[in-house]
Amino acid sequence: MAKQRKQYRAEQKNPAVGHGQKAMNATQEKVDGQKTGKKRLKLPVIVVFFVLVWLWAWLWMGDTMRVARENSFWSPNEVLMRFMDGRPWEMLCRAGRMLLTTYRWPVLGGALMALLVAKCTWLTGYCLRLKGWWKLLQFVPALAYLLFLTYIGYDLFYEAETGLIMGVPFLALIVLMMLALIIRSFSHSHKFPNPFLPDKGESTKQHLAGLAMAVLTIALPMGVSHWMRPYVRVTTRMQCQMMEQDWRGMAETARKNADLSYRQIAAYYAIALTQLEEQASRLFDIRMDYDVPYIHGFNKNANDAANYYVMDCDLYAGLVQTAIHHAMEHMTMNGPTLRSLKLLTRGALLKGEWRVAEKYLRVLEHVPFEGDFVKKYRPMVGNVSMIDNDPEFHHMRLTEPVHDNFENLLTQPTFMGYNIALNEGRSINALWNSLMVHLYTKTMPQFIARCQPLQGNTPPPTIAEGLLLMSNKYPEIMKLFPGLEYNQARLLALLQETRPFMGSHETRAEHAHELFKKWKGFYPYYYFFGNLKATKRKDTNNEGTSKQGVN
Amino acid sequence: MEMRSYIKHLQKHILPSLTEGRLGRVLFLVLPFLLLVGCSKRTFTVPSQFAEADSVAPLYPDYTDIIIPANIAPLNFSLLESGPTEVVALMEGTNGETLVAGGEKDLKVFIDSTEWRTLLQKNKGATIRVSVFALFPQGWVRYKPHTLQVAEEDIDPYLSYRLIEPGYELYRQLGLYQRNLTNFDERVIYENNRAYSDEDNHCINCHNYQNYSTRQMLFHVRAQHGGTILIRDGKAEKVQIKGDSILTAGVYPSWHPTHNLVAFSTNKTGQAFHMYHKEKIEVLDEASDLLLYDADKNEVSLVLADSTKFETFPCWSPDGKWLYYCVSEEPAKDVEINIPDSLTEMRRVLLYDKFFYDIRRMPFDEQTKTFGPSEMVVDCQSRERSASFPRISPDGRYLLFAEGDYGQFHIWHKSSDLYVKDLQTDSIYALTEANSNDVDSYHSWSSNGRWIVFSTRRMDGNYTRPFIAYFDKNGRAHKAFCLPQFDPEYNILLLKSYNVPELTRDAVRITERDLRQCIYETEGKMAKFKARKQ
Repeated sequence: MAKQRKQYRAEQKNPAVGHGQKAMNATQEKVDGQKTGKKRLKLPVIVVFFVLVWLWAWLWMGDTMRVARENSFWSPNEVLMRFMDGRPWEMLCRAGRMLLTTYRWPVLGGALMALLVAKCTWLTGYCLRLKGWWKLLQFVPALAYLLFLTYIGYDLFYEAETGLIMGVPFLALIVLMMLALIIRSFSHSHKFPNPFLPDKGESTKQHLAGLAMAVLTIALPMGVSHWMRPYVRVTTRMQCQMMEQDWRGMAETARKNADLSYRQIAAYYAIALTQLEEQASRLFDIRMDYDVPYIHGFNKNANDAANYYVMDCDLYAGLVQTAIHHAMEHMTMNGPTLRSLKLLTRGALLKGEWRVAEKYLRVLEHVPFEGDFVKKYRPMVGNVSMIDNDPEFHHMRLTEPVHDNFENLLTQPTFMGYNIALNEGRSINALWNSLMVHLYTKTMPQFIARCQPLQGNTPPPTIAEGLLLMSNKYPEIMKLFPGLEYNQARLLALLQETRPFMGSHETRAEHAHELFKKWKGFYPYYYFFGNLKATKRKDTNNEGTSKQGVN
Repeated sequence: MEMRSYIKHLQKHILPSLTEGRLGRVLFLVLPFLLLVGCSKRTFTVPSQFAEADSVAPLYPDYTDIIIPANIAPLNFSLLESGPTEVVALMEGTNGETLVAGGEKDLKVFIDSTEWRTLLQKNKGATIRVSVFALFPQGWVRYKPHTLQVAEEDIDPYLSYRLIEPGYELYRQLGLYQRNLTNFDERVIYENNRAYSDEDNHCINCHNYQNYSTRQMLFHVRAQHGGTILIRDGKAEKVQIKGDSILTAGVYPSWHPTHNLVAFSTNKTGQAFHMYHKEKIEVLDEASDLLLYDADKNEVSLVLADSTKFETFPCWSPDGKWLYYCVSEEPAKDVEINIPDSLTEMRRVLLYDKFFYDIRRMPFDEQTKTFGPSEMVVDCQSRERSASFPRISPDGRYLLFAEGDYGQFHIWHKSSDLYVKDLQTDSIYALTEANSNDVDSYHSWSSNGRWIVFSTRRMDGNYTRPFIAYFDKNGRAHKAFCLPQFDPEYNILLLKSYNVPELTRDAVRITERDLRQCIYETEGKMAKFKARKQ
């Protein structure tokens, strides 16, 4: 490389040192530059492309890739990797899963991804002997790949083989390297260009076009992800914040994207509120009409993918045993994943099942970069007070069931069904959860009946709004719960403004979205206009349908 | 390019670049040496100076003071201790022969299999004294020695089982495997599809052998490609044991020891998931009956089909003259239970802990293939206890079964323990030395009746592992030990459960390929239903 650099400098000084047409072009450009009085700075396009992909893979896709990593599993231990035996493209998927582990830190995973993609691009140019304008074609495979990654959205990791994310560029790199080695071995003249130096043989226009193509290769996938799959980055951002226990951040992320209405976002938003103890005041700050995301399962059919969030929701609703159930099903179907193993560990700790908690920790010890998790939770094995004093666990404990029941007897999903059927709770938080589920499902008679313990007190804001709404039908409510009158004027204003749309379900659905901005967070708005299956975009119909009603 | 010039090119450009620089040259020279050193095996020596500890070594798995068969694979273990950097085990047989093994860093002790075999063979019927030494920063410490008693009787060399995640509702990749107990070889009997496919997804369960031999065996395939796979003399065929008069397909099987007859239960089974309970799952039968399948005639008939009773888990006596089974009655209608009308059909789920199964038996006439009246063998209902999985010892004297607080699917009941009924003296007792505080359930005998193997969740409370216990001539089981694995950490890292461990004298003869062909490419012939005269 030092030799090449020396040669390049010599060529810059004396164009005659170069070879043939390339040297001629370079000389011509220098002359052109002198004529116009401008000094043209040429950047090494591949290096620029590497940096761009790195930024994209780190800052834009970092959270999504980190969640993909959590939905994946790789360990150097062969016993743990037995589940991969005999799978299609086994070795490739194993290698891909290994490389994906670096996404523990998106800056590192992004660098690796960028290295793979940039090197493939560089070798594509070399192997296909692309020159001049044709050289722009070297970006096409990378562009196609990055577009694909963003287009598939949740399918990148949901019930999917995560080894392909890094495995595909890795395989491409291996193939291209072998091809390049063969070409280089049989050809004296076709030398490897130095990727750190600009191509001497290209004109300024070609150089600029190369840079533009590099930018476009990143910009197009960003556009796809922003316009076609906006919910993916929001959901995965929230999931990463959940891993960091940044509940405030999670709630903010959801509220910033309040207009996006997807079950996954609503589920993680509810989790954040439960941890912040704001479930009874801010739940309806985001739209809950639920557009259908682009998501498929093992059978490749579009579905509403409740499995995406149900185990997290069960855990944070205090239904530890149900969460373990779903995590185990997740592991059965997907093979072990970091996500399921971590949930099983925490579930075992909450249930006081020390031996199996230790087992899962031992498994996670064999996974690269999981030392922090093990370090945090191992001291909790056998230490009940440490578990009870952990803020995250403490909130889960508040809503743990008091009595046993069977999941089968409850409406699904269980974290909703349990709260609908709740008869006795451990804390006021359990009552809030139950009341909020009634408000969410608009089961108002049960809601009023369950508000009884709050009589004589000012209820939390959203519960108060629910009671106020019901006071139209049952005026005595106003006397039983002080402070409801504060929102009476607001309710009247809503009813007045929306009177023209109240005629039918269809008209309400039609105007739900335009009213949201003004009335978001106000329960009566949700009662009349929320969760009506009103999709903002009509074009989601062909991406799958959810047959569920309010749930 | 000519070959000669290509080689020249390689010599000139490629090879020098590989060994370019000081680091490259050093690696080029040192690498083969490193590989050689890496592959060599370290010899451990017993320390001459050491302090004495006042406790037995904490081993994983716990292999202290157990009785083992002389043909068992080496009992590799790891020392569960923080601090030591090295561990050495000295094994001295009372009949002579010593063995030294050791481990570093991860404190795993790997025993040389040839030396182990020699040690065990020489000490058959005698005792091996095991001294474990650990190197702490302060120096070597010797734990209190423990013993391995080598039994006179060998264990059947093959153990087959199903590996599956400790299941709830779903299944994906699973398989039947056979482990050679004399070493660490595990072979696949049959695995379902590795890659998800709606057209191919299927479950496999209930493998069963005739008379501890793989000559005649069977297992079920559920969902896609479903049917019962009968393997006779190395040939597999699929049969469909179902019909209008049968509740579902055949479920829990038992081969008649001498005739080509299989007793099945047929169960309408459901599961219920606890939300706040020490148990996780209840497996409940909505209905169950007993069937008899004649493999030669491909005929199936109902044996017991009382709609008010739940008959299940059939098991032949070794002489084939009795059929044992479990039976429970519907919990009394007057048991009060407060449920809304909409959940009436869930009544049985809510009464899950009111089902108590007895063990009964019926005489079987091999000539007429008819059963006589049933009689009580283990009365559990009167004690408000529940028995399941009756298994008779090969000499016909002992009835081994699992007993728990309620229900029949004891693999999910922490209260479940192994019990024995001495059929000569009528005494019933728990196998206290072999049992644990956790689940001890599905069990089978070795063909010589001196060993039992059973599933237990004692290691971590969730994942079942096969444990082996010596069953002596006096009807007493001894401390059980975990199926040895090459890597002692294996049972921690394995995220699947062992189901239905069954011992056999010989290896499965049919290949996985032949089984796959039978399962995927045949529809299975429908068994003819034959009305039974009682």
